[in-house]
Amino acid sequence: MSLAVKPHYPDYSNAPIQRSFNPYADNGGSVVAIAGDDFVIIGADTRLSAGFSIYTREQNKLFQLSPTTVLGCSGCWCDTLTLTRILNSRMQMYQQEHNKIMSTEACAQMLSTMLYYKRFFPYYISNVLVGLDNNGKGCVYSYDPIGHCEKATYRAGGSAGALLQPLLDNQIGQKNMLNVKQESVSQEKALSIIKDVFISAAERDIYTGDSIQIKIITKEGIKEEKFELRKD
Amino acid sequence: MFLTRSEYDRGVNTFSPEGRLFQVEYAIEAIKLGSTAIGICTSEGVVLAVEKRITSPLMEPTTIEKIVEVDKHIGCAVSGLMADSRTMIDRARVECQNHWFVYNENMSVESCAQAVSNLAIQFGDSDDGAAMSRPFGVAILFAGIDEKGPQLYHMDPSGTFVQFDAKAIGSGSEGAQQSLQEVYHRSMTLEEATISALTILKQVMEEKLNSSNVEVMTMTPGNLFHMFTKEQVEEALRNVCPVEHPLALNVSKQRV
Amino acid sequence: MSILAYNGGAMVAMKGENCVSIAADRRFGIQAQTVATNFEKIFEMGPHLYVGLPGLATDTQTVMEKLRFRKNFAMLSHMLYEKRFGPFFVEPVVAGLEPKTYEPFICNMDLIGCINQPKDFVVGGTASAQLYGMCEALWEPNLGPDDLFETTSQALINAFDRDAISGWGATIYIIEKDKVTIKNLKTRMD
Repeated sequence: MSLAVKPHYPDYSNAPIQRSFNPYADNGGSVVAIAGDDFVIIGADTRLSAGFSIYTREQNKLFQLSPTTVLGCSGCWCDTLTLTRILNSRMQMYQQEHNKIMSTEACAQMLSTMLYYKRFFPYYISNVLVGLDNNGKGCVYSYDPIGHCEKATYRAGGSAGALLQPLLDNQIGQKNMLNVKQESVSQEKALSIIKDVFISAAERDIYTGDSIQIKIITKEGIKEEKFELRKD
Repeated sequence: MFLTRSEYDRGVNTFSPEGRLFQVEYAIEAIKLGSTAIGICTSEGVVLAVEKRITSPLMEPTTIEKIVEVDKHIGCAVSGLMADSRTMIDRARVECQNHWFVYNENMSVESCAQAVSNLAIQFGDSDDGAAMSRPFGVAILFAGIDEKGPQLYHMDPSGTFVQFDAKAIGSGSEGAQQSLQEVYHRSMTLEEATISALTILKQVMEEKLNSSNVEVMTMTPGNLFHMFTKEQVEEALRNVCPVEHPLALNVSKQRV
Repeated sequence: MSILAYNGGAMVAMKGENCVSIAADRRFGIQAQTVATNFEKIFEMGPHLYVGLPGLATDTQTVMEKLRFRKNFAMLSHMLYEKRFGPFFVEPVVAGLEPKTYEPFICNMDLIGCINQPKDFVVGGTASAQLYGMCEALWEPNLGPDDLFETTSQALINAFDRDAISGWGATIYIIEKDKVTIKNLKTRMD
């Protein structure tokens, strides 16, 4: 067997030229949300990256859709921009058509439907939608890119989702703990857990870091916080 | 209005010099030939009662459907051209289902009326995809329960829809509306409303009331759309006051 | 799918104060089908030395047999590199105490023998992303044997509960100067 490599000159080849275009980018980012009885907290890191380069260290990935609903997005940033603009216009159209502000539940279903309508050219986004339901209770909805929707009380999504979800299972879902009382999480504890898990994520996930933007949603309104993470 | 008839009543979308759309006005007139339907909205729920014109003893009365379910929480009574009403009810049903599909919540009664109203004004004589070549000859009563509670809406062929506490449509509507105004009060129970609706219907109908020439439906937060069975209609009719004038009614005391 | 993820598995080793832990799940499966729930992936190589071999199960056993035969642990990395262009599909995790000083020692390596020897913990298997998240939050320096046991098992169990092809029980070894404690843990079996 000869080891000589046959040279290849594309210009002189009769083989069909194949061009390819990849319409998606992975811009990373993580979102974590925790719901309580009368509040919900959502946090997203502010690093926007592609491969080994960082586009910006201060990109907000949380979008307020209504006074009680916030969406966190990570994944393909251009899809996020488009999806959130369409969502905002759908929220406005709903308000004008039905003379009321869309509830979190309705918004959750609408997002699922919108994602599914692009079943064969999906928005490449990991979405986490949070808000207060009609009874003022905190709720979290998470999605896959084609509209599968799951209601939960806590969720980690995005590039560090796999790292953080078992941690939340343990610390909030109290999974694999013996002799513990199942009680709902307090606002202070939820906030400190969100900060802790992002510190862990920033250690091991290069697409998560710089800082986190946190939104705390209660019936009094939405409070915003910023928390610094490692920047390397 | 018929005095001003002119060439302006031919094009369905042509205003007359006085600023009127004759075809729409004629359509509203057409409603006044239809069978009477009455709706009363109380704090406990909404009741719809309609007459069915049994024009032949050979006719099968159950095949005349004047009260229909649009969704579990919205029902409609119609008067006028029944064929036209089918198109509009279909639209109402589709809109309600679509709203549920997209938002996972019940469509409000007002939004449902709005959606049907959008269809009602899609008439025209051009070929560019208007739904109908003429206005729909139908008036509709929407009875429903949404987050605002029990609600009653009325819509006419012009697509105008207005919320009512009590409303009558069809041939006996003028007299019936007058009677409704006299008997209606805010603290009416649903049972009182049912009896009043039937009493008034009885006054404006040419035929004698019986369980096959009247349809009754209640819309309550507990049971939502509930069409009365023949037995339930008979039971309700037994409570209808034999007195001719509705003002003499004091239903709660006169109940057997 | 990588051949490393054909059988599934999760493994973690942690350093403590004068002790080390090494733990693994007990599942043996072929892709999504669980075949056995008593499969050992951690092997005793000496009085204070254990090696875990997450990856392709057939290579787990082959590499273990070769190690037993050679009885020379330092050769593991070389043995793997020998097969640079046709490797064994295992990513070993090693935990033990240094023979004379009883210093805690942990390391892991990739399938061709590149050694990684951090000060805190190492992970391996299909649940490694989940394990990194757990360990990064739970691990702290100078844990005693009891705390090390609790930390390692919580990290392992919560991590593999979020991995479809790891789990079905866990085995944990706590290696101290004068004793080695082996525990089989009950976990959710789905």
